[in-house]
Amino acid sequence: MTSYVARRGMHAMLILLGVSLVTFLLMHLTGDPVTLFMPLDASPEDIAVMRSAMGFDRPIMVQYLHFVGDALRGDFGQSLRHRQPALSLVVGRLPATMQLTVLALLLAVVAAVPLGVVSAARRGSGVSFAASLLGLLGQSMPVFWLGIVLILLFSVNLRWLPASGRGSIVHLIMPAVTIGTYSMAMLMRLMRATMMDVLSQDYIRTARAKGISERGVIFKHAMRNAAIPVITVMGLQLGTLLGGAVITETVFAWPGLGRLLIQGFHNRDMAVVQAAVFVMALMIVVANLLADLTYVLCDPRVRYG
Amino acid sequence: MIVILIVAACGPAPSESSPASAELGSEGEIVIAQGVDATTLDPNMHAETPTSNVNVQIYDSLLMRDAEGELQLSLAESYENIDDHTWEFRLRRGVTFHNGERFDAKSVKFTLDRILDPDNQSPQYSHISAISEVEIVDDYTIRMHTRDPFPTLPSQMVARQMVPAGYTGEHGGEHLARNPIGTGPYRFVSWTPDEEIRLRANEEYWRGMPTIRDVVFRVVPETSTRIAELQTGSVDIIVNVPPHQAETLEAGEGTAISRAPSSRAIFVGMVTTEPGPLTDRRVRQALNYGVDVDSIIENVLMGNGVPLAGQPVVDMHHGFSGSLDPYPHDPSRARELLADAGHPGGFSIAMDSPSGRYLMDRETAQAVAGQLEAIDVEVALNVQEWGVYVDKIMSRQLTELFLIGWGNATFDADATMYPWFRSGQQFCYFEDDALDAALDLARETMDMDVRQDRYIEIMQLLHEEAPWIFLHQQMDIYGISDRIEWNARPDELIHAYEARLRADD
Repeated sequence: MTSYVARRGMHAMLILLGVSLVTFLLMHLTGDPVTLFMPLDASPEDIAVMRSAMGFDRPIMVQYLHFVGDALRGDFGQSLRHRQPALSLVVGRLPATMQLTVLALLLAVVAAVPLGVVSAARRGSGVSFAASLLGLLGQSMPVFWLGIVLILLFSVNLRWLPASGRGSIVHLIMPAVTIGTYSMAMLMRLMRATMMDVLSQDYIRTARAKGISERGVIFKHAMRNAAIPVITVMGLQLGTLLGGAVITETVFAWPGLGRLLIQGFHNRDMAVVQAAVFVMALMIVVANLLADLTYVLCDPRVRYG
Repeated sequence: MIVILIVAACGPAPSESSPASAELGSEGEIVIAQGVDATTLDPNMHAETPTSNVNVQIYDSLLMRDAEGELQLSLAESYENIDDHTWEFRLRRGVTFHNGERFDAKSVKFTLDRILDPDNQSPQYSHISAISEVEIVDDYTIRMHTRDPFPTLPSQMVARQMVPAGYTGEHGGEHLARNPIGTGPYRFVSWTPDEEIRLRANEEYWRGMPTIRDVVFRVVPETSTRIAELQTGSVDIIVNVPPHQAETLEAGEGTAISRAPSSRAIFVGMVTTEPGPLTDRRVRQALNYGVDVDSIIENVLMGNGVPLAGQPVVDMHHGFSGSLDPYPHDPSRARELLADAGHPGGFSIAMDSPSGRYLMDRETAQAVAGQLEAIDVEVALNVQEWGVYVDKIMSRQLTELFLIGWGNATFDADATMYPWFRSGQQFCYFEDDALDAALDLARETMDMDVRQDRYIEIMQLLHEEAPWIFLHQQMDIYGISDRIEWNARPDELIHAYEARLRADD
């Protein structure tokens, strides 16, 4: 188990290094931070003076190696626009994003698991039909559109909820629902499908034949087996949720990591983008590792050596 | 030649200002929602309008612009041109920073020197890099020496906001950026990044106590959300209302619209410095006749634009010619000119446009392309994200036609004309020896009236040469709540000091 985690840790390091290289190259290939920073009418001489003061006149690989060297010591550099260490900017936005994604994932799981189980157990019922419809809608509504519709309905027309911003718990409702809907639909459909699959297995028939109550069959025998793929996908969903956070945070003016990243990208603020992408990649890697380790709890046959 | 500028004293004297507000004290709160947060509250280290909007409440400059865009005195009491290479400013006495520090010549020298030091990496550096030395004459007199004659130096002093030398020197720029101290009408209270910035009235403000006590800047990036916040009464001023939403807010209960033509000209640039049809003046004129600017303003901008008057600058710029008119929409004249130029069947050409940078930029480019097709000019349009576009601009990789906007907040023609029409400049795609000589002369002329005459001749020449497809002057659209009185300004700035709460609220 320990050596497994250590091996996975090594993989994670390589992944993070790869992500940082790709981010670095893409940023440099698509725009010049110095010309975006200066007014358009700055003279070439003035731009050259500024480029050298910022260190962007060095060869690109030299810049990258400097960046990696500093990053290993925990220094992601200074944001050009905010004039603060990039990592502290990112860490400052992290709580808001975590609050949103964790609540969204919680909402998604709490709604998806029972709905998926019931609609699998009662195929053809009204609940099952409603769940299918919800699954279809939830996965096909764009996050952006859903957010705006919720604002128009609950803020502008009904005046029940604040349209945007962060403050009390009511500010969280619409963004969390917006961001969690897709994951909810996806997890619900998966839960339903795997449950249906499990319920048609021989050992379920055997369990029923032994006279175990339907409740016992579903909760003790079927759900535990159906949970494994759902847990895997939950781990992967964190990536989707963080991606959704970029859009949702913009729609609801939520002061999180996603917005910092978008703004940093528009300005080609290298340090901020690197630090934000690094932290997001780290979160996804850790979440997947946790999902893998959870299998042990669900399935006694799984052992990592 | 020594030219002395005498500028009428502006604004009320500090002691006798608005007695009503002095009795009542500042009251109430306004909330302003912008699309992005301020990046720094160090006013010398940014070049962004949303950041300026916060900083103009906290800081003052030597000069300012009034609501009509006219240059007025602020922290300067007077200024004059000692010789072609020297400007002298006399400073207002008795002004203190929010921490009690005295405003004097040291503050001015400290502020300008920190912008001029390349190690500080200020994006305002290029605006004043022509200043070679800032000299303190006495406590309240400062001289700026320039390498070349710099007639537009005063307009550059509008956005150079003064910071306290002692405080900034002691704590450093990074501290100032988070804990700003200025001489302005509002003091800094708190900043929650990407959420809100809170300011409170500076009751000792030298121009008189602000009427509104609290000013809150909120960050609401999504346009539809900003509009929803205005409609629900949570905010009082919102920026960048899209044209198709303006009518809804105008008609809506509790909301209104305030518009101002900005200093930004939107046009299609033409590369005439490479071989191709655009080297022929008749072709360039034909393209101007072929585009229906009124229809673009009417249908794409929903009326939120003013046609350019057949010249690169707008009427708020010194050097604008009042005797020129926009090119009319005349497709048959356009076809005639094309035939004369040897293109009876038209030609094909490529056009670049940014997306999301200017009001309806992509849609405008599409309309231009569509209209040119009617005169048999086949346009291959290529729309790009702004970061990519800037790269193409700076490396001069733009296609033969390119849509762009040029904001000129100096309110002087030079800041448009020199970069765009002086051979060898970054944006110059139209080269002409006579024009070069005329522009150099205008640039070095310190007498504003003589400059005006020189620019009028230049505008006439450019009207005929038609080096751009002249489109329109952009209109800035703000949504405001009925509980306040406030008017949009031509410089894209929001001064909370100019806003009032309505009495019946």
